Amino acid sequence: MELIFLSLLLIPFSWILFLGASFLSGRQLPERFLSESIKWLSVVMSLLSLILSVSMVLNGSQALVLDYPAWFKAGEYNFKIRFIVDLLGTTYGLLTSLLIGIIFRFSRNYLHREEGYFRFVVLLSILMFGLMIVSFARSLDLIFVGWELVGTTSVLLIGYFYSQNQPVRHSLKALISYRFCDMGILAASAWAHHYLHTTDFTQMPDLVSSGYGGELALSFIGLFVIWASLAKSGQLPFSSWLPAAMEGPTPSSAIFYGALSIHLGPFLLLRFYEYFQHFPVLLWLIGIVGAVSAIYGSAVGRTRSDAKTMLAYATISQVGIIWIEIALGFTKFALFHIVAHASLRTWQFLRSSSLIQDFFENPVVLQNEKTNRYLSFEKFLDESFQKKVFLHALHGFHLDFFTGKIIDGLLWPMNIIIRCEKKWMEWNDKFVSLLLRKW
Amino acid sequence: MSELLDHLHFDAILERIRHKLPIQNPLHSFVHNNILMMFEGKEFHEALTEAGQLYRARPYWSREQYQARFNEGKINAQDISDGIDQYMLHYCDPSVADNLGIPLKQFYYQLMFSELMFNDDNVQPDIKDGQLWEACAEKMSGQVLDLKLGQKKYRAKEYWEKYYNESMASATHPYIINLISSFLDQGQSFWSNPFTEKGFWDFFIADIAVTSTFGTPWQKILGHKLNQYEGSTSQEIIEKELNRISIPRENWESFILDVLFDLKGWSGMVNKLELEPWQATIKAPQIKLIDYIAALILIETSLDQYHAQAHSTDLATIYGRDEIISLRSFQLALALYQITTSFGLQENWFDSLSVETLLETVAQVDQAEKHHLVRLWHEAYENHYYREALTSLIHHERAPINSSNTEAQVLFCIDDREESFRRHLEEVNPLVKTYGVVGFFNIDMNFSSVKHKRLIAQCPPVVAPSRVVHEVPRKDQDLQSFSRFNHFRGGSDLSSYYLSRTLFRGFFSTLILGVVSIIPMFLQVFFPEKAKKFREMFYRWLNPIPETEIVIEQKQAGQGYTRVEMARIVEAVVNICGLKNEFAPLVVVMAHGSSSNNNPFKQAYGCGACGGNAGIPNSRAFAKMANDPEVRSELRNFGMLIPDTTYFISGFHDTCTDEIHYFDTDKMPTAFENAFKNVRLSLEEACKKNAFERCQRFSSEAAKVSPELALKHVKERAEDLAQPRPEYGHSTNVLAIVGLRDMTKGLFLNRRSFLHTYDWRIDPDGELLKQVVVGGVPVAVNINMDYYFSCVDNDNFGCGSKLPLNLTSLLGVMTGSSSDLRIGLARQMVEIHEPIRNLTIIEAPLARVKDLFDNHGRLKNLLYNHWMRLAVFDPEQKRWYIFRENEFKEMVMEKKQLKHFNSSMELINKGPDGEDFAEIG
Repeated sequence: MELIFLSLLLIPFSWILFLGASFLSGRQLPERFLSESIKWLSVVMSLLSLILSVSMVLNGSQALVLDYPAWFKAGEYNFKIRFIVDLLGTTYGLLTSLLIGIIFRFSRNYLHREEGYFRFVVLLSILMFGLMIVSFARSLDLIFVGWELVGTTSVLLIGYFYSQNQPVRHSLKALISYRFCDMGILAASAWAHHYLHTTDFTQMPDLVSSGYGGELALSFIGLFVIWASLAKSGQLPFSSWLPAAMEGPTPSSAIFYGALSIHLGPFLLLRFYEYFQHFPVLLWLIGIVGAVSAIYGSAVGRTRSDAKTMLAYATISQVGIIWIEIALGFTKFALFHIVAHASLRTWQFLRSSSLIQDFFENPVVLQNEKTNRYLSFEKFLDESFQKKVFLHALHGFHLDFFTGKIIDGLLWPMNIIIRCEKKWMEWNDKFVSLLLRKW
Repeated sequence: MSELLDHLHFDAILERIRHKLPIQNPLHSFVHNNILMMFEGKEFHEALTEAGQLYRARPYWSREQYQARFNEGKINAQDISDGIDQYMLHYCDPSVADNLGIPLKQFYYQLMFSELMFNDDNVQPDIKDGQLWEACAEKMSGQVLDLKLGQKKYRAKEYWEKYYNESMASATHPYIINLISSFLDQGQSFWSNPFTEKGFWDFFIADIAVTSTFGTPWQKILGHKLNQYEGSTSQEIIEKELNRISIPRENWESFILDVLFDLKGWSGMVNKLELEPWQATIKAPQIKLIDYIAALILIETSLDQYHAQAHSTDLATIYGRDEIISLRSFQLALALYQITTSFGLQENWFDSLSVETLLETVAQVDQAEKHHLVRLWHEAYENHYYREALTSLIHHERAPINSSNTEAQVLFCIDDREESFRRHLEEVNPLVKTYGVVGFFNIDMNFSSVKHKRLIAQCPPVVAPSRVVHEVPRKDQDLQSFSRFNHFRGGSDLSSYYLSRTLFRGFFSTLILGVVSIIPMFLQVFFPEKAKKFREMFYRWLNPIPETEIVIEQKQAGQGYTRVEMARIVEAVVNICGLKNEFAPLVVVMAHGSSSNNNPFKQAYGCGACGGNAGIPNSRAFAKMANDPEVRSELRNFGMLIPDTTYFISGFHDTCTDEIHYFDTDKMPTAFENAFKNVRLSLEEACKKNAFERCQRFSSEAAKVSPELALKHVKERAEDLAQPRPEYGHSTNVLAIVGLRDMTKGLFLNRRSFLHTYDWRIDPDGELLKQVVVGGVPVAVNINMDYYFSCVDNDNFGCGSKLPLNLTSLLGVMTGSSSDLRIGLARQMVEIHEPIRNLTIIEAPLARVKDLFDNHGRLKNLLYNHWMRLAVFDPEQKRWYIFRENEFKEMVMEKKQLKHFNSSMELINKGPDGEDFAEIG
């Protein structure tokens, strides 16, 4: 079983190394070779994940804890490579292999003759590797590695059409949100190293009960983990990058924002669920964030009139519900919800170009008749109020405006310094020119 | 004076603006149009230059692309010479050339290969001839020449971008797109816009009133402005605003157009839905272009005001500024030097000329480089194909016609994609004759199927359908349960669409659909064709579609046709084909269409003559009419005898999967069964070969092995969710050939020609010619031009790559999360196209053709303004004519031996660099 697990990590890793080496050697790999290779890559990965999951279940869902020699040491710090092969990890790993397999097959025709095909394959392979690390990592330090790989590939794929303005701007937006929340993981691991001397989340809950560092300090670790999960899963207040991220080719939007990257937030929360159990406040917080995001996503999403941002908001609201499920303690159910949701959204993204035909050929959609939208909450609102809510929802409840205000608030000391510097430079200029004239 | 006032009257301005906006339909009823149809009153090159500025697009390939063709030998010296001759017929101002002291033709020739880069600061000049350089520098010392870059600039947009790096697009477009896409939405969103009944202006005002508090600073300014303008009409607002920023009234049109073309797709759609609300997918909202313009102008001026405040700039200095490039003495000397070397002039050519003349010459050469250079290349490039086409047709030897013992006659659509199919069919079975008629078979109907109550116009977009025709089940009780279930399925599809995107119901449907969706997703992605078969089988088992027939008989006014009308329809089509009294035992009426999956442009692949739909109902109706004994007896009164030994069969060719379906064959008398079986086999064989020929253009290697594999491959293509190129559609189309099939039979045309059948012998008064040409040639030009523009500048005339497309409002597509509503065709659809204007070749007496083109408004425009080329073979005089600059000239072509192949398959197997023309058989 360990061997299977290791090959799940090493196969994508060596494939990436190979791609990198061939890129550095300046040789362009032919498209046919690439598409044949990724076909076999995804077949092998899917089979291995499947075997792993089956043997996992046959073994009675017994987790396999694996320790490997340290990656590097720095002073007292020791980056230990620790993995855990458990039900959660294998499920996510299986989901990853299967969905990426489907996406690889899909993009084989979809990106055929595309200049950036190599880039696309490289990024998706890195995504696969990153997700495998996150799925099986046992420490926050190691999760961070995979977490960053996923974030970077996501940003680069939003900017896939980098010759245009908008994709680049929106990938920057995603990058900023990601980086801001990545600080959460870093903070959490720093905090954990300081108080618990480990970031192994199988040990952390026990250490909490041993009571070192005090309730408050330790609860901060959990708070940081929640912070870290916000951006990846597009929960409030980090929601506005997600609809803007629909700039890349459709399969990349599907795999990242419909399926795998978006569910890393709840995945991390599930990993830390035992830890959160010690701090009911944090569970409340998770539930509230999830609930508010779910309502927000659904309210904004229902006013969207384009296929992809509509799906983005729908995803935000379903992931919000998954957060609530985690807060309520339905962890197994949350995992099931993740799997179902990821599959459905991938399918909906991939089919998103069919909508016009779907509607036009639908026998209940007729000319000059509004399509029946069934009962919904807005119909209970007073008319003028309903219109107001609609308009605010149409503008995403001005999320960018409010975050802008907050950022401005954070930056105002900076602004004062910049202004002072400007004044100083102006004065300097004057002074120097005065001096020069005198001379 | 009053005329001038009328010209500047607001309504007149608005009317002219409407005419210049993009004319694309919503995608569900996409039709190929010359996207510059409204510019056809102008000469081709001039129209393109004007439109190029409007669309901010390059209306030709880049010079490098033409030069690459030149290096490949696809443009040769002869083509260049012909191209220049052709171009000089219209553009013959010799003043520059006179100044340089060379003939105009030489000037143009040298210009094409010139390396003038004196107004480009980024290129380091390469000076080899020191002496000449000295002389140039001396001549030009102390001189300055101002080159104007277009007209005065009335928009501050570029100014902010250039000097303050403030992009207007990123500031305002997301906001505008958000509003307009929500307002125009046809049902994609769950919560439909509650303002659609009241009008866009009310929506706009309400939006600003409610949301400007949370908006950016310019939105607050906009809010104040709207308060000031409370109670004013949109027209008053536009007039006041434009006067306030002091734009001269004669520039309003260009100013407003420029503003509208920032988001040209949306603007065009607003215009379309206001003028033709019936084109909406479901229901057009209350929208007026004028409100939309007012909103855009207010947004623009508010943003300007904000920028002016923020950057403490005086707006008055920005509006109406001139943008000039000043060439100083160094650049002028460089210009002189480069002109001398590029045009191969004497070193002392400028000694005798005054400095003023020289400056003028430099300015003129600069203009010539900007305008003429790429046009000349384009003409040369086109001429290469034209010459090959004409020599091939002229020297093609017509096979002797054998009209006896014809097994079957197959009526195809004129479509260029059927060219190869007809060729293969004739090769497979020489006893089958093929004809090309416009694929709606003269039946101008609104069709309603048993599956869907919605009326579908099954006729060309320029024709208004005159009848409603229903498809009904053969047995009544079948339909009840079928349509009940059909409705149930539609309803559940719709609700799973909406509900999976909401909150609570989304929760449940996600859990259910999520688990369920894995299987179809897996099957559809990995085994597209099997998935389709399985799906069809499943639904057939679940809800069998009843056997149907088409009711063509008139039961009440506006429904169906009378016997006489039917006879007229049959007569017209039969006459066009020249069948008259030579009917084969079987006549197959072959409609066509195209199936593809997950393809927003599906309609663009369909039968253009049936409004982009599949022509099945038309062919079924036509066959039924022609088989009807009463119609036949009516026809006898017109002098047309369809013998009882002739039977009409309705068929359908799927141009994507290369499958053929037949309809209502169970009603066929048994006497025809053998003949039908024969024809059917021939058609099946032709399908395979046709698929094989098509596969040569795709890069999938597996499909190039054998016809059988090719057929399998194209079927898979059609069902593949991920396939951006289910077929290449009309790519590479150029020709439209009107005449008897003998003219082209046995000639390989490489799927590049529309083929219209026309028999000049039975048409003394030219009435049939008119029907054929008016019905077919403008369609061919429309398709040709649509491909032309999407091909030369795909980002600005077309819709860019298919990969990031995002369907919006059930009307069209955006690129990425929010963008303009894209117009035109996707890059993957036109990547192998060659932008050559349509060349129509007609076999008919010259006088008839001349008469026809001179007396038809659009055709005359197309021809005289060079939107198409025309060649005529006069069969009475046995002479070829070509239309050049307002007259027909006799054409003499050098003798050319065409390559000869025994069959199309032999030619195809020869390799990828096939011929465009060859003799077959």
